[in-house]
Amino acid sequence: MKGLDKLLGELELQRLQKQTRRHFLMDCVSKMGGLALFPLLNACQSGSGELGLNLSERDLNPLASLSPPSIPKVKSVIYLHMAGAPSQLELFDYKPELVKYNNQPCPESMLEGRKFAFIRGVPNLLGPVANFQQHGQSGAWVSDFLPHFSKIVDEVAFLKAVHTDQFNHGPAQLFMQTGSPRLGRPSLGSWVTYGLGTENQNLPGFVVLTSGGKTPDAGKSVWGSGFLPSVYQGVQCRSKGDPVLYLNDPEGINRSLKGKIVDAINSVNKEEFAAVGDPEILARINQYEMAFRMQLDVPEIMNINDEPDHIHELYGTQPGEEAFANNCLLARKLVEKGVRFIQLYDWGWDSHGTEKDTALDLGFRNKCREIDRPMSALILDLKQRGLLEDTLVVWGGEFGRTPMQENREGKTMGFKGRDHHVDAFTMWMAGGGIKKGATFGQTDDLGFSGIQGRVSVHDIHATILHLLGFDHERFTYEFQGRPFRLTDVEGEIIKEILA
Amino acid sequence: MKNILFTLSSILLIILIIFFSRNEEPVDFSADVKPILNKHCISCHGGVKKNGGFSLLFEQEAFAVNDSGFPAIVPGNPHQSEMIKRLMESDPELRMPYNKAPLSADEIEVLKKWIKQGAKWGKHWAYVPVQKSDIPKAIKKFEQQISPSPVSNLDKIVFKKLKAQGFQPAPQAEKMQLLRRLALDITGLPPSQELVEKWRNDQIPYEALVDELLSLPAYGEKWASWWLDLARYADSKGYERDQSRTIWPYRDWVIRAFNHDMPFDQFTIEQLAGDLLPEPSKEQLIATAFHRNTMNNDEGGTEDEEFRVAAVLDRVNTTYEVWQSTTMACVQCHSHPYDPFYHEDYFRSMAFFNNSRDEDTTDEEPKIRLYEVDDQEKLKEIQSWLSQFTSTEMTKSYMDFLIFQEPKYHAHLATDFVNGELIDTKWLGLWPKGSAFLKNVYTGGADRLLLNYWSNHDGTKMTIRNGGPEGEILSQFNIDQTGATTRSILFKQVYEKIDLFISAENPRIGAQQATAAISWFAFLPKLPGDDSHKHQHINDYYSQMLNKRPLTVPIMIENPSFMQRKTHVFERGNWMLHGEEVQAITPESLNPWKKEWTQDRMGFALWLTDESNPLTARTTVNRVWDQLFGQGLVSTLEDMGTQSDPPVHRELLDFLAWELMYTHQWSIKQLIKEIVLSHTYRQGSGISPQQLAEDPENRWLARGPRFRLGAETVRDQALASAGLLSDKMYGKSVMPPQPDGIWETVYSGEYWKESEGEDKYRRGIYTYLKRTSPYPSFISFDAGSREVCQGKRIVTNTPLQALVTLNDPVFFEAAADLGKRMLDLNAMDPGKAIADVYEQILYQKLSEGKQKFLVQLYQEALEEFEFEKSPLLPADLTDSQRKSWGAFTVVGNAMLNLDEFLTKP
Repeated sequence: MKGLDKLLGELELQRLQKQTRRHFLMDCVSKMGGLALFPLLNACQSGSGELGLNLSERDLNPLASLSPPSIPKVKSVIYLHMAGAPSQLELFDYKPELVKYNNQPCPESMLEGRKFAFIRGVPNLLGPVANFQQHGQSGAWVSDFLPHFSKIVDEVAFLKAVHTDQFNHGPAQLFMQTGSPRLGRPSLGSWVTYGLGTENQNLPGFVVLTSGGKTPDAGKSVWGSGFLPSVYQGVQCRSKGDPVLYLNDPEGINRSLKGKIVDAINSVNKEEFAAVGDPEILARINQYEMAFRMQLDVPEIMNINDEPDHIHELYGTQPGEEAFANNCLLARKLVEKGVRFIQLYDWGWDSHGTEKDTALDLGFRNKCREIDRPMSALILDLKQRGLLEDTLVVWGGEFGRTPMQENREGKTMGFKGRDHHVDAFTMWMAGGGIKKGATFGQTDDLGFSGIQGRVSVHDIHATILHLLGFDHERFTYEFQGRPFRLTDVEGEIIKEILA
Repeated sequence: MKNILFTLSSILLIILIIFFSRNEEPVDFSADVKPILNKHCISCHGGVKKNGGFSLLFEQEAFAVNDSGFPAIVPGNPHQSEMIKRLMESDPELRMPYNKAPLSADEIEVLKKWIKQGAKWGKHWAYVPVQKSDIPKAIKKFEQQISPSPVSNLDKIVFKKLKAQGFQPAPQAEKMQLLRRLALDITGLPPSQELVEKWRNDQIPYEALVDELLSLPAYGEKWASWWLDLARYADSKGYERDQSRTIWPYRDWVIRAFNHDMPFDQFTIEQLAGDLLPEPSKEQLIATAFHRNTMNNDEGGTEDEEFRVAAVLDRVNTTYEVWQSTTMACVQCHSHPYDPFYHEDYFRSMAFFNNSRDEDTTDEEPKIRLYEVDDQEKLKEIQSWLSQFTSTEMTKSYMDFLIFQEPKYHAHLATDFVNGELIDTKWLGLWPKGSAFLKNVYTGGADRLLLNYWSNHDGTKMTIRNGGPEGEILSQFNIDQTGATTRSILFKQVYEKIDLFISAENPRIGAQQATAAISWFAFLPKLPGDDSHKHQHINDYYSQMLNKRPLTVPIMIENPSFMQRKTHVFERGNWMLHGEEVQAITPESLNPWKKEWTQDRMGFALWLTDESNPLTARTTVNRVWDQLFGQGLVSTLEDMGTQSDPPVHRELLDFLAWELMYTHQWSIKQLIKEIVLSHTYRQGSGISPQQLAEDPENRWLARGPRFRLGAETVRDQALASAGLLSDKMYGKSVMPPQPDGIWETVYSGEYWKESEGEDKYRRGIYTYLKRTSPYPSFISFDAGSREVCQGKRIVTNTPLQALVTLNDPVFFEAAADLGKRMLDLNAMDPGKAIADVYEQILYQKLSEGKQKFLVQLYQEALEEFEFEKSPLLPADLTDSQRKSWGAFTVVGNAMLNLDEFLTKP
């Protein structure tokens, strides 16, 4: 009997040793030294599944790379958001009828039951300020405000009848980026980072780059993580100052010494782990390793000076400035390095016509010049590197502009401008899984409403998630006792633009 | 023989019957059945979807006839119940749950038994009023183990569960670690040197230590941070423009309330309905700013009514979340998917909140005007004079108008513009020959109009008529160039509700130019007693006070009867689609409404704090527990309802909820004290391999809490350890140094103006919080942007946090101060200096193993730290001193980054 007890006891002990996180991790820890900790831990981790432990790779590294549930068409997304909402009627949605009715009062039937941000009473229609031509084999209409982009239209699929239900910038940007016009939901980039992690552990998984001198109207919530853990929020990388906040070492500390500091901290932390056994300490050790590597890799990637001249020429970069062109080049570099989600915001597209800067033929035209070359270069550059097929590029604003000229609070305006418009606007996508040269959706003769192929913000989200290998109806996060989705209870994949 | 056989078989039968019926233990709906229904059924047969006309959310729905023409559940007869049949169906088209994995045999068995036993519906435990719990007997073995630590009632409840699970309580934490834990938990700061010495030398018993810490002003600062997350307190209005808002007096009110240990029921009532108390004090009005922390949208082109409604909805959601752990937001669009709340319940609750004066105006009225001391004297003089000449009621109206300037009609109510505009969708701007209507106005027969406006032009003639351009002239006056002013203008007395037709004429200015920008209209009779010689003097005072610009704080003020709004159900949650009208009443599934309560926010607050409310005390206890243990007894803090995890320590939750209400009379300090006095709290936090395997999340509480400190505490502790922290309390929020270029908000001329002197080193709770751009290091450490109520900060562990504590200049400055201390202590023996300072900030001995690494770092830093580059080391020291100080600074930097420093032990 005694013998049996002993045997049983030993069996139990063995079982415990197998199942104990601590034992298992201590095993790992004892094998590692210094800064090589991270990959080793990962290696240790990968075997944990069969032990039936509830310690996942994500416990140690919440950004560990994961595969999506189905085969993805793309690995990364570059989302170019024109904050302020550019006019589709000056860029892509050519409306000859609008030329004809320029300066005529808008038919009252179009205004009935409608609310606009600033238009009051009966405004006049405003013909397109730009000239249009068809381009490429696809024959896509693009205005002369985008001469470079005209040359790559065959790479792109246009959505001509996107609609939203928010006509103020803040809520509309939130809706476009988080699927809800109110604050508190995770952004598209956060969802993707939560779902996929990041391939490159030395860089943030979700990078945000801004230009135009301002952050978007809705503030940093447009790349916030909402109810997801904060580790999934976008990290703003900046062209001026520290590229990531607090990335630079204090004065007097060089790289070598920083390595020794991190080494000392982690060595003490390992002692602490041995004493208290809290796995959270291992996660912290891991994070310090990552921080150290980020300090090296982020400045390197944010530095565009080493790119060859022809690349600078292609994008039209302005080294040392906070420019959309630089951000496009950075986006390419980040994709190359395995960053999953790169969000660009370019501010200054709110062309009301209240002053020169917001006039369609002045400020707006200049904004077009600022983006035309770089966004076209981005597509070309990705393509020549074979990255375009693994990358999705999305372009759009938070809503569109009215076919009517704005008459702010009933006034005659000094410049040509258009008010916010929710019924119809244009977005485009390019890259992996996208049907090249496609156009989906059509607006009425005046460009007021979509009459065919209308798609919603949720549809856009569903499509992006689909290309990344997610079913938007199943990709959920439990919060407040119920599963939340990016697309809430809506969204349909836009099959018409898929290859 | 036959008889005997018969008797025997009868006996056997009886025995068998007894045996089987014993086996048939009664099934408890809440504990056994409801979790199965919630898990498998309710998403298609609940508050959102009612497939087949069948729902399991409410009792009457579950037993009702559904689309099949029969009820799905036949009480007493599982075999005739379609529900059971469908669960066991083999045809996948018919088998439920549709297209999902079938229920397990055990689960089906539970449902069958439940139906067989009569399918009794039950109330979820969280909706049953809190009962007094029985205290389990002490467990001798455990008592001996943890001796001399005393065993409290709380411990007895915990120990009973531990024993059943085969766990044991951990021994008490190491003495000095316990002190550090306690001080960080109660005050958010490390303990003072004096307390450290007393405690180290056994000069203060544990309970006295707890009392001492609870009496420190730092206690209020620590616990206010928790409350301010719930109150979504911030220093800016949110949304696009996100301009500053002066609401910090509310933050100070919260700190004081905690320090005075205001009972939680009073704390609730003052915040939700302080304005409805009889003769509310200034503080009680400021308390109502709780619900003025909602966001305010100033973006041009936005409709104020839309965002007023958004703010009201947020108040409903926040109130239910904060006090009831219930996500009422679900019910905004449909009946609750799994909790017993109807769609209409939401709007019945909204009706309580829908009659406050605020209307999303740029100036965020109503605001309490906090007059300077001199002016308060004048106010008293006006008041005493008024009370001589008019009724108490009228005196109050006059005085209220000085204190919060209500009721008034805002310019955004103007309609039917001809040659006029709502400037930036905010202010009434009539152009020459311009007019507009202000409809449905009640002047109460007042003979004065109070007009708030400014103008860039002289010589505008304004006319206000009754009902339209041909109507009777009610008032006529000139407007000249002026800054913002409130002016009293003669007005014809009218006693019914009327439409004002307002027109402007000014031949001297061009078309489409606003003659003036009008903010609001109010109506008040002229001051009484005009036959007295002092009338003019008082009148001047009154006008002076109206035009003062004192410090103001947004507050709640209820609509007068003539401004009452009706509340409607919003179809599918859309504020523009009005359904049926509803009256203010609380959900039936919670505690009953008492007749003596008024149907306003005051009644609602009394309902919440009534002892029969099942959720308020449980929710509060759960949140306090979460603050101390890192997770609630119900882990989903935002949801105490039926979907939440069944808590393993439900008895403990109920015990403490009872204690809070009855024993402690809603005292939060006493509740905290009761928890921290327990052995459960005092346990060591080391994790044994067995615990890690069997209870990694510490749900059973067989060890003490150990988790990373909160954002504010991470910074406060570093500053305090280095001796940099300022103990200045209260006042305007401060802007400690942050990297350039953080604020880039559109349309806002505001900028981060770095604070000077000690304001750079204030506690985190005083740091200015701009919602669209919060203080970056706090965001890295999981603090929120406080746009909406945040019940829980999810603790993460990221490289960006490491960058903050390694590189943020304020942390490095703290490191340099620690470095100086090491230098002064013993430059000759760095190992000892390092060990001493480590002990000073962590209150425990530095182990030799750890010391070795830090001394090694010191040696390396002596070589590698480029001391001549560091601005922190004074140039007048010798190179060798600077070298040594620099190297110690590097060690200090490492110390401030140690896991044990960033973590509550």
